[in-house]
Amino acid sequence: MRRTMLVLLWMVLAGCSQEPEQAGFAGLAEGVNEGGQLSYLQPGPDTGLTFPEDLGPHPRHRIEWWYLTANLRTKSGEPLGLQWTQFRQALVPREAGSIPEPETWPLEAAWMAHAAVSWNGKHVFAERLARGDVGNAGAEARPFSVWLDQWQLESVSEDQWRLQVKDESFGYDLTLTINDQPVAHGIDGFSAKSDSGQGSMYFSYVDIAISGTVTFEDQSLAVKGRGWFDREWSSQFLKTGQQGWDWFALHLDSGDKLMAFRLREEGNPFVSGTWIPASGQVQPLDSGQLALSAIEQREGVPVRWRIELPEQGVHLELSAPPGDYTNQGLYPYWESPVDISGSHTGEGYMELTGYR
Amino acid sequence: MNQPVLEARDLSKTFASGAERIAVFSGLSVSLAAGQSLALMGRSGSGKSTLLNLFCGLERPDNGVITLLGERFDYREAGAAGQQEKRWARLRRRQIGVMFQEANLMPALSLLDNVRLRARLAEQPLEQCQTWLERLGIGELAERYPDQVSGGQRQRAALAMVFAMNPDLILADEPTGSLDRRTAEEVTAELFRLQAETGVALVLATHDPELAEQCQVTLDLAHGNQAGPAP
Amino acid sequence: MTLFAAVFSHYRRHPLQLAALALMILVATTLWSGVRQLTEQARTSLSQSEQVIAGREQVVRVDGAALTVSDFVTLRRAGLCVMPWLEVPRQGDVGLVIGVDPLAAACFGGAGGAFGNSQIRLEGEPFVDISEAARMARELPAAEPPPSLALIAAGEVTADAVPAGYRLADFSRGPDTGELGESFLLNLDALGILVLLITALLLRSVYRLGIVQRRDSFALLHRFGVPPAQIDRWLVVELLVLSALCILPGLWLGSWLAGLLGQGFGRSLEGLFDAPLYAAPGQWLAPAFTMMAVVLVACLADFLVPGAHRLAGSRGKGKLAGGFLVTGLVLALLSPSLVWVFVAVAIVFAGAGLLTPALINRLADRAADASADPLSRWRYRELAVMARQLALPVVALQFTLAMVLAIQALVTTFEDTFDRWLGQRLEAELYVAVPEGRSGEAAARWLTSQPELQTSGVWHRVIRGRGSVSVSGSAPTPVDLFALSPVSSLVTSWDLLDAEDDPWATLTRGEGVLVNEQLARRLELGVGDRIALEVAGQQLNLPISGVYADYGRPAGEILISGALLPEQFRPDFESFSITPGTLTRAELIRGLEAVWQVSGMTVRDNEEIRALATGVFDQTFLLTRAMTVLTLTLAALALLVMGWVFFTGRNWYFRLLATWGLSRREVAAQLTRLSVGLTGSVALLALPLGIWLTWVLVHRINPLAFGWSLPMAVYPGFWVELIGLSLLIGLGIALLMGRQLRAGAALPVSASSLTGGER
Repeated sequence: MRRTMLVLLWMVLAGCSQEPEQAGFAGLAEGVNEGGQLSYLQPGPDTGLTFPEDLGPHPRHRIEWWYLTANLRTKSGEPLGLQWTQFRQALVPREAGSIPEPETWPLEAAWMAHAAVSWNGKHVFAERLARGDVGNAGAEARPFSVWLDQWQLESVSEDQWRLQVKDESFGYDLTLTINDQPVAHGIDGFSAKSDSGQGSMYFSYVDIAISGTVTFEDQSLAVKGRGWFDREWSSQFLKTGQQGWDWFALHLDSGDKLMAFRLREEGNPFVSGTWIPASGQVQPLDSGQLALSAIEQREGVPVRWRIELPEQGVHLELSAPPGDYTNQGLYPYWESPVDISGSHTGEGYMELTGYR
Repeated sequence: MNQPVLEARDLSKTFASGAERIAVFSGLSVSLAAGQSLALMGRSGSGKSTLLNLFCGLERPDNGVITLLGERFDYREAGAAGQQEKRWARLRRRQIGVMFQEANLMPALSLLDNVRLRARLAEQPLEQCQTWLERLGIGELAERYPDQVSGGQRQRAALAMVFAMNPDLILADEPTGSLDRRTAEEVTAELFRLQAETGVALVLATHDPELAEQCQVTLDLAHGNQAGPAP
Repeated sequence: MTLFAAVFSHYRRHPLQLAALALMILVATTLWSGVRQLTEQARTSLSQSEQVIAGREQVVRVDGAALTVSDFVTLRRAGLCVMPWLEVPRQGDVGLVIGVDPLAAACFGGAGGAFGNSQIRLEGEPFVDISEAARMARELPAAEPPPSLALIAAGEVTADAVPAGYRLADFSRGPDTGELGESFLLNLDALGILVLLITALLLRSVYRLGIVQRRDSFALLHRFGVPPAQIDRWLVVELLVLSALCILPGLWLGSWLAGLLGQGFGRSLEGLFDAPLYAAPGQWLAPAFTMMAVVLVACLADFLVPGAHRLAGSRGKGKLAGGFLVTGLVLALLSPSLVWVFVAVAIVFAGAGLLTPALINRLADRAADASADPLSRWRYRELAVMARQLALPVVALQFTLAMVLAIQALVTTFEDTFDRWLGQRLEAELYVAVPEGRSGEAAARWLTSQPELQTSGVWHRVIRGRGSVSVSGSAPTPVDLFALSPVSSLVTSWDLLDAEDDPWATLTRGEGVLVNEQLARRLELGVGDRIALEVAGQQLNLPISGVYADYGRPAGEILISGALLPEQFRPDFESFSITPGTLTRAELIRGLEAVWQVSGMTVRDNEEIRALATGVFDQTFLLTRAMTVLTLTLAALALLVMGWVFFTGRNWYFRLLATWGLSRREVAAQLTRLSVGLTGSVALLALPLGIWLTWVLVHRINPLAFGWSLPMAVYPGFWVELIGLSLLIGLGIALLMGRQLRAGAALPVSASSLTGGER
């Protein structure tokens, strides 16, 4: 979802934006165009992460998102999946400090938020859109806060965040306890997205304890469980020829965690991931160390997967629970919890885009 | 007859045809006394109508002199056209009766009103108009309109118009050309009868030799341009 | 030579006829499609905005203050689905755009919601992204009140969901003017159709004439073995080709005309009905086909309805005409709706159209019978023939003259009334707008402290904002609020439609309000009625002490003393009306600039505003005027062509007069008397029709279309001008004919078989 959707969103808004096409400047890290117009920054292996600034927005980058998935259980022990995402799409790059006047109704960035709850074979989804810089949508690093209308994620103490989402048919109010340091993917947070070097900045909080209430079908459900929070930003869309993306965030009962993704394209898909052992060094994975394969489809969507990490002796089989977990927004995609079996057991989340 | 009603000397007339000029006639001379009748003969296109038009000033010759009822129109020198124009108009109004093959009547006026209009222009008494129609045998048709009577009756009305103006000269251009033989003979008879009665001079353009024979003089335009002067 | 060439060869010999046909199709298309484009555009705008806002509610502040971006943010963060809506006039262009936020609209729900993403196209017709609208708003001249932001609520928003400090209100951009906007457009449409009909008449007359002239060659072709049906087919093809060739440039010219007049038209629409004109794309196909159909029907009606023209004899025609006239007149008097008034006008025109040629014919015949002089008898008889043969263009000229006369009377009456009214409104010499963000209060204090102004000048401050009025517990009606402080002698000279003894004193004491005519009519209010006025959250309960006229402004207005305004009232716009007396204009401006700490304020003197207002007024009728003038030109031209052709057909007979001894000048004089006689009698017969049409416009159509009535006035001076114009047209025909006479005349085509049409 994370990339394709934004491409399309940008196209919807293209009618009101004069942003010049910048494909040719993909590699430029720095600087201003000849016309005096600011260009988008491209992240690279040397970019590095800064905290807590990188929790906040990056207005010189084209796209970014804040992404939470959670595998929760109700009091009676039924699994409940939950997603909250907020995207920012720049229409015009700009320096972080130069915020336009809200009275001008600036159209420099568009924001989109998604919320979904999957429970009992049912899946509900809501989507909200907003323009940036007006005030009803935005993000800040200090104190950490991401909001769009009445939905918001904000820090309430040093290691606790609160996530509130309220829609017509469902909602949630959760307390997130951040138990670990952020995990940087790829090289110092630069996560390659193709063989030719394009990529994004990407880090995650992979061990988040969650508790709170989910409102679903007029029931108020007390929930507990764990979550995975991603931060990612870049200035590139999918490379030409890349058709979609399969992404996995897995909590193994052994205490190990795994992030893996595959960008599908003609020929060899681009595969990458991060092995986060319960103890020890975080290890970036490439196609030699990580294999992903779909083993069963449900109405065109691969719902069962095999993931192999030969070096770690990890052989996993993932399966989505019964049901349809398509987020029917402007740009539909699949977002479902998964059960893990095989060499390890566990649970996690799976996002599949570009199918059907 | 001490003075001819109409005298033409050395008339010539050409028409433009493309870049050339074609002579219709040249050096034509003719003379006509009161009470006399002259027939202009010739095929169509031989210049009969043109000559009639010259005799009443509706067209101008290229050269020559026309003397009509004592008025002299000298075309040998240029100029004075405007003056001639007015003199011709005066003559046509009072003294020259012109009659065409057809369409001699105003269609929106009754036969009587047509005669009255012609008489009024010639400053003749309007009371005589009905009498003229009666003399031509169409008195009971006086209130009819031209489209309500036959072609012969229309030409009779045209004759009434001409005679009601009490002219000195009548120029008739194929006056029976569009009538059937019998009607034509009747109308011609009326014309010659009234001409004799009134002593008016008559120039008659026709292609009909029988009709021409009834005139005292014949000028055949088809056979060259020789003047056939009055004896 | 192909058959088509043979059929078409007529126009090679008569290029003028072809040119006349082409010109008429072109001009008719231009006029009609131009007007149609404007009215369609207006109608689309009306329905578009109606559709978009139908049943919508907006969220407003309880304190009545203008909404800002932060209100939007507050409401959205409170979970309320609202969308910003900013209407901004286009500078130097037609109409208005609406700034919306498509992203905010997403929560309106795509299914069936008019704000679903798929239905908003940010292409400026009329929607643009709100950032663009905001930019346009910033570029508006400072003197214009800034466009105000509205926040539209999604259908699901309920009153109890609205946070404190806000409330739901009906969303309508302007006051409810009922059917007025539509009626105004209908008015213009009717005018357009009238023009179309007149041109169709003209077209038909010229075309039929050509057909009559071509009858002989058709007969010849028939003798050569061409079946008549094939000739007819070729005639249709010929007509189709001709109309296609003329309609397309006509449509292009029409859209050019619409563009030319659009701005003024948009302003009128906005000014009269608060109905904005959005930009809309021009249409091509429908008007092209309509025009094509009109041309075909006008020219080929005889093929379609064989023998229809022979149905009624002259006597039957007279009865028919009489019936039409009586029916139409009665209907015009009694009809309850605008559409029926138009039908009545159409019926009366049809009656007049049947009657006029017959009447001229009859009168001329009578005169002929009565005249002893054979020459004048001839002239009258010829006039009678002309009246019959030129019936179509004669009627067209009559209609056009009547239309011109009526519209002139209407516009002039408007102008006079408006001028008087404007004069009263513009008593002050100078008008100063308070710059945004500056204090009107401070300026008022400064003005009060100027001794020259106190002794020799007059001034007052006008504070403009919004309020709402309810009568005996009815739903509140939004009104434009004008607060005066002080109530100066600049306003006390207004003519009031209705008032108590000393309304201005009552107003000054804050014991009464004045309302405008529209509000009084709409709420059925009169002097002495009490109204509940809500201003910035405060309730005032006051009696009405007077009603003032408001020509052309449909918004409900209420005039109160500035002292009554509550603290928290936030004005939309403030200005000062000042007659400076001995204080010079320069001193005044310097003083106010110092108070406001600005340079280059907007100061207008009354002449400037008068010019501005008159300009807007003129624009309102520019379209009407342009149409009448063009139609008149067309009618004159057609009569000229037809007259010329008529005379050509009778050239032989007119030359008979010359043969009978009338000089060329005398013949020309006769012809002049004839043609001038015809156009003169047309003009005379157009007078009663025109006066009646004026009455219909003023007393029937105007109240239905504009919502207010004016006294009817007639302008005989203009009649004289029109008659003069008609005589000129007659002279033109005679002049053309005089030229014809000099060329030779052929014997009439069917002289040997007169058909009766000649007399």
